[in-house]
Amino acid sequence: MELAASVLLDTTLITLTLALAAFGLAIIYGLIGVINMGHGAMLTLGAYFTWAGLQLEIPFVLSVILSGFIVGFIGLLFEHWIIKRFYNSPYETLLLTWAFFLVTTELIKIVFGSDFRTVVNPYPGSIDLGFYKIPTYRTLICVFTAFVILSTGFVFFRTSTGIKIRAMIQNREMASLLGLNISLTYKIIFGFGCFMAGLAGGLVAPMLSVSPYMGDMYLVRSFFVVIVGGIGQILSGTIIGSFVIGGLETIVALFSDQVIAQVAVFFFAIVILRIRPQGIFSEK
Amino acid sequence: MQNENKISKISRRQLIKTAAASVVIMGSPAFIRNLHADDPIKIGVLSPVTGAWTVYGKAHSRGFELAVEEINAAGGVLGRPIEMVLADYQTDRRLVVEQANRLLRQERVDLLAGTFSSADRNAAGPIVKAADKLLLYPTWYEGQIEEYYPGVCNENIFMFGPEPTQQVWPFMEYMCNKFGKKFFMIGSDYAWPQVTNMFTKEKLKELGGETVGEVYIPFNTPQYESVLRQIRQAKPDIIFHSLTGSDTVNFRKQLVAAGMKNDFTLWTVDDEEVVTSGLGHEVSSGTYVSFDYFMTIKHQNNKDFLDRYQKRYGSDALMNTVGVGMYNAAHMGAMAIEKAGKVDTSSIREALKGIKFDKAPQGTVEMRALDHQAVLPSYLMRVREGWSSVNDMFEQVQTVARAVPQDARCNLPL
Repeated sequence: MELAASVLLDTTLITLTLALAAFGLAIIYGLIGVINMGHGAMLTLGAYFTWAGLQLEIPFVLSVILSGFIVGFIGLLFEHWIIKRFYNSPYETLLLTWAFFLVTTELIKIVFGSDFRTVVNPYPGSIDLGFYKIPTYRTLICVFTAFVILSTGFVFFRTSTGIKIRAMIQNREMASLLGLNISLTYKIIFGFGCFMAGLAGGLVAPMLSVSPYMGDMYLVRSFFVVIVGGIGQILSGTIIGSFVIGGLETIVALFSDQVIAQVAVFFFAIVILRIRPQGIFSEK
Repeated sequence: MQNENKISKISRRQLIKTAAASVVIMGSPAFIRNLHADDPIKIGVLSPVTGAWTVYGKAHSRGFELAVEEINAAGGVLGRPIEMVLADYQTDRRLVVEQANRLLRQERVDLLAGTFSSADRNAAGPIVKAADKLLLYPTWYEGQIEEYYPGVCNENIFMFGPEPTQQVWPFMEYMCNKFGKKFFMIGSDYAWPQVTNMFTKEKLKELGGETVGEVYIPFNTPQYESVLRQIRQAKPDIIFHSLTGSDTVNFRKQLVAAGMKNDFTLWTVDDEEVVTSGLGHEVSSGTYVSFDYFMTIKHQNNKDFLDRYQKRYGSDALMNTVGVGMYNAAHMGAMAIEKAGKVDTSSIREALKGIKFDKAPQGTVEMRALDHQAVLPSYLMRVREGWSSVNDMFEQVQTVARAVPQDARCNLPL
């Protein structure tokens, strides 16, 4: 019983952490159809800006928020100058965002160097549940992730902005004819996705080594999350996708080892895509 | 008619030119060598200057560079300067092959030094074998077993870093007596951690200990919940740690965040100065680390070496076991060439066997003739609480002035 409970806790922690890392990608890919290969680099940037903020003795939470905004702003510039001209050609955006990843990674190496940086865990220690200890900081991140996803859901389904966005996804031309400002909405969504990536990068930094390649770790996993969960299903899809990719790994690793667990999970993801190419949640 | 004449004239001229050129080319190798006796001796250095292992690459290439500069300032070898040709393989195994071939065929280097991980060295093994050139390898590694030939047990490769029976075995008894005999092994999923653990388990069995868990982690794993759970359930006395690069940092941070740091003793055979700096003192303090070299070892050679190193590269430049391995490889290679009196592969190989370098930063280093394995000092350190820099990072726990390794498990002698 205690084992089951602790596995459940671990699984929840992993699922939500992965959901946080994948959320920015899910938004941009799901809502405006741009496969943002620069997502990993944006996570990395967020982590480095958070590190830099701490060096300037800005408090951790503020550093993370600032990192989100800076990365979001960089994303806006990238959209404004380049991406917005290519919304109708997915392959070009794929290449362009990949280029963004390459250039950014090199710039990070030039500006910050390639040594490991450390972001000290701002909330060390763990919560003792009697039968199991869970890390305080991880728990906070998960609560935050749940909050972000729920509030995005609220905006999406309960506000007029949400209605406009949904209208735009359903039929872009019609929404445009009815007077919605498509290019502005795209810009906002792209910027928000980048903001989320930067924020996520800053938030995971205390758990990982801050290095120019740290975002890569999450890039592949995030893609699987989005594709397995279903493109456009930014809420339930992200959570379920994260569970399949991250959570299952914990459960499988319980009965075998880490290597087999990772292989098994990706194999399972491929099987899902074979049966439901549109993802678990998409209806098409 | 005139045209034809012109053409034939040119042809004749070209014929003469071509003939003259070929005579020069055919005659040149021996000819040039005799004329330019003070041409540099070229050594190709394969270094991960960029890519995932950049953090090690810096000390790696600088160690060699510093030694080459010292040798040249003292008049070179056989009256010739040494020229170091640096090739960056970007932490990419395919590029090891490409760059090694380029150094050998295009740059025509006389010998090679470098590569960083065992996987890199194994990629270079067949090339140095086929080209019959030497490779001087600087890194701590898993030891030589015939099965992994030609990456090891290769007559053309010399090992300047420690292997498990030098890095781990000398301290097993101390660690077992102090903390207990139950080991949990966690390492990255490739040759070095697996073979290192194999050796460690052998000795552990001999001491009556027990391996209560053994996991290998794929590169770039961000989450460690399931591993932490296994560790909790296995209740080991010592976590024996051979993860590499950023996975080290990821795992260790999460171990600490899970509140498990004080419940177990952690012994790592991977985290030298660079990685420990990346961990920070909250995460790393109390950890045991063993290597042949640390910046903090108290030895006059080390003090002099660091003075020169930091004068050259700045007072905050990091050094580590690999950089020192490269430094020793350059000096001992040069000594061997001087001793041999020539630069062909078999002469240098014979001269390197048994060569002794007593100015090595970690003490005296000797190249064992039998299996091309350096006999080195070995140190067990403990990471200090609240350290602030590499200068106060480690405190010396155990010292072995001369750690003699087991004979390599190859068809000896090499």
